[in-house]
Amino acid sequence: MRRQRSDSRSAYVFILPWLIGFLCFTLFPIVFMVQQSLTNRKLNGVSKFIGLANYKNMFKSAVFWNSFRVTILFTVVMVVVTTVWAVILALLLNRKQKFNSIFQFCYFLPSVVPTVALAYAFRTIFGKNAGLFNNILSTFMGHTVEINWLYQKNTVYFVVFFITLFTYGTGQMMLIFRSGLADVPQELYEASSLDGATFLQKFFHITLPMISPLILFNAVSGCVSALNGSFALLYPLTSENGDPNGMTQVLSLLIYKEAFSNMKVGYACALSVVLFLVAAAFGGLIFGISKKTVYYED
Amino acid sequence: MKRVISFLLAAAMMTGAFAGCGQSQSSSSSQAAGSTAASAAASENVSGQSVTITTWNEPSKDDALNMYKQAEKATGVKVNVTVIPESDYSSKLGQMVSTKDTSTDIMVVWENDLKNFAEAKGIVSLDSYLQKSTINTKDFIPAVSQLSSGMGATYGLPWCAATEILYYNKDMFKAAGISLPTNNWKYDDFKAAAKKLTKNGVYGCALPNTQTWWAGVGGAGDKIYAPSNGQMVIGSGATSFIKDCKVMVDAKEMPAPSSDTTDLFAAGKAAMAWQGSWNIGTYADKLKFDWDIASLPTNKVKYNTLHTGFYTINANSKKQTAAWKVIEYLMSEEGQTINSKASGNPSALKTIANKGAWKVEAAKKVTNWDAITDSLNSGIFGYTCLPSGVTNNAVSKFNSSLLGEITPADAVKQASDYAAETIGY
Repeated sequence: MRRQRSDSRSAYVFILPWLIGFLCFTLFPIVFMVQQSLTNRKLNGVSKFIGLANYKNMFKSAVFWNSFRVTILFTVVMVVVTTVWAVILALLLNRKQKFNSIFQFCYFLPSVVPTVALAYAFRTIFGKNAGLFNNILSTFMGHTVEINWLYQKNTVYFVVFFITLFTYGTGQMMLIFRSGLADVPQELYEASSLDGATFLQKFFHITLPMISPLILFNAVSGCVSALNGSFALLYPLTSENGDPNGMTQVLSLLIYKEAFSNMKVGYACALSVVLFLVAAAFGGLIFGISKKTVYYED
Repeated sequence: MKRVISFLLAAAMMTGAFAGCGQSQSSSSSQAAGSTAASAAASENVSGQSVTITTWNEPSKDDALNMYKQAEKATGVKVNVTVIPESDYSSKLGQMVSTKDTSTDIMVVWENDLKNFAEAKGIVSLDSYLQKSTINTKDFIPAVSQLSSGMGATYGLPWCAATEILYYNKDMFKAAGISLPTNNWKYDDFKAAAKKLTKNGVYGCALPNTQTWWAGVGGAGDKIYAPSNGQMVIGSGATSFIKDCKVMVDAKEMPAPSSDTTDLFAAGKAAMAWQGSWNIGTYADKLKFDWDIASLPTNKVKYNTLHTGFYTINANSKKQTAAWKVIEYLMSEEGQTINSKASGNPSALKTIANKGAWKVEAAKKVTNWDAITDSLNSGIFGYTCLPSGVTNNAVSKFNSSLLGEITPADAVKQASDYAAETIGY
C-alpha cells in the first residue's frame, strides 16, 4: 500500500514539469483570453468589462461572417488538397527506383523554407507586371500576359491553394505517409495481384485502409495548421485585409488586424475564442467521421 | 492529489481574473509626475544622464545631420535611439504603454495614437513644461493646434510636418507638349494630362497609394475624419474619386491594383504620381530623368493629408526632466533645422519652416519648392487620426472596386460600415 502511494507520488513528480507548463502556457492563456473577450480592452491597456458586447457586435458584423466563411472554406480545401498531394508524393517515393532519396530531398526542400519567406517568393512569382510566371507565359504565348493572379477573384484561390502544396505541413504529411506505406504488408499486394486487381483497386482496397489512421492524424494536424498557421502564409500574400475584397481574410488575419491595427484587444480575444471553437468543432467532426472510416488492425 | 490539482487550476483562473483587473487600473500618478518633474526641470541638472527615444526612422549616419547627436552636445544628455520598424511601430508602442514599459523615455507617437496614449495615461501633459519653455506653441501650423485642442492638454510636440504632393516626369511632359503642372493646377487639368501622357506602355499616373487615396477622397469633398466623435466620414466624394480612378484604370491611364510593389514613377513607367514629400529625399539625384513637384491638383477642395509624429514623454519614465530637455532642443530652431535638412520635411513651426531648411540639397532637379509650403497651408490631419485597420480596409475596398469586384458605392458603404462598427464601442 505504502509502496503504491510512493509510486503514485513519483509519477506525479515526473509529470509536474509538464503540468506547470500546461498551467502557465496553455490553460492560463486560454482562461485569460476568454476573460479578456468580455472586456473592451485596447492595446494601450485601457479596459472595461462589457459582458457579451464583443460577441453581439461580432455576430452583427458582415466582416466577421465573411471571415468565418473564408476560414471554413480555406480549412476544408487546404486539408483536402495538401493531404491528397502528400499521398501522391508518398506513393511516388514508395516506388522502387534509383535516386529515391534525391527525389525525397527535392520534394521536401520547399517545406523547410520559412512560410513567410515562401509566401514572399510566391508573391514575386505571381506578380502582375514583373512576375516570373507571367513572364514565362508571355514567352510561350508570344504576347504580353498580365494576369493579376493575387488580385482577381477568379485566380486568387487557385494560387493560394497551389502555394499550400509547398508548405511545411505538406512536407511533413508526405514523410508520415511514406513511412506508413512502407509498413503495408507486401503479401496483401501479392495476393491481390494473383486475383487480378488493378493498381486503383489495390490503392482503394488495400493502401487507403492500411494508412487510414495516418490520414486521420494528418487531417487533424492539417486542420489545426490551416486554422492557426494560415496567417504566416496569407499575411505576406494578401495583407491583413485578405485581398481581393476580403476573399482570403481568414479569422487569424482578422484577429491580427483587430488587435494590432485597430488596437481592439478585447474584440480580438472574442474572435480568438470563436477560432478556438471552430478548431474544436473540426477536430470533433474528423474524429466522428473517423469512427466509420478508419481501419485499425487487431 | 486531485485536491492539489483542483487548487492549482482554480489558482490559474483567479490569477487570470486578477491580471485583467490589474491592467485596467490606470495610474493616476502619471499626471502628477509630469507636473512635478516640470517644476523640477528648471532647476535640475540633467547633464550626464541618458535617455532613450523610440522612433521608426533610422538616424542620419552623418553626425552633422543627426539631431540626436547634436542634442547630446547641446544638452549634455546621452540620447539612445531605439528604432522599431514602421509596420509594427504603432502596435509595439501600444504594448509598451499597456505594460507600463520603462525602457523608453521619449516616444515619437503617431497622430492616431496620441489621444489613446493620453487616455491610457501612458504619456504626460507637456503644458507645465511649455509654460517655462521658449517653444512658441502659437507658431504651429493651424492643423497641429486643432489636433491638440479637444484633448484638454498638450501631450505631444510635432517633430515635423510632411505633406503629400504631385511628382511629375518633366521629360515626358515636354515630349507630349503639355504645359507643366503648377500649384494652381485643377483636377481636370490633371486628368487631361494623364490621358495625353498615356502611351508606349507608360501610365499617365501611378495608382494612389494607401496614403494618397485619402487626398483624392478629401479633394473630392469628403471630410474623412470627424474630430468630435473620431469617426470616418466618407460618401459622395469617395464614390466620385473611385469612379474617376476606375475610368483611368480601364483606359490604362493608371495601373490596376496588383501585388507588384514597383515604384512606377521612379522606374519611368508612370508620368505622374501622388506621394509623400519625404520621397524627395529618397529620389534626390537618383532618378534617370528630369522631374519636379507641384501641389496636388485641386478638385472640389484643395486637400492633402499632413503626416507627423509627436514627441511625447513616457509617463513611466524616471528621467522625465532629461527627456524634456532633449525634446526642447529637438523643437528648437537648431534641432528643427537639422531635422529638416536630414529628412526633407518642413518644421510644423511656421517661422522655422519659412526659412526653407527642408529644401533637399541633393534634389537639384526640383525647382518648385513652393509646392511644399502651399501643401502645408492646405494640409490637414485627416485619415492619419483613424485606426490604420479601418483606413487600410477602406483602401482595400476602393482597390476591389477598381478591379470591378464591387461598385464604388458598395465599396464606400462597406468601408463606412466597418469603420462604424470598429471605432468607439
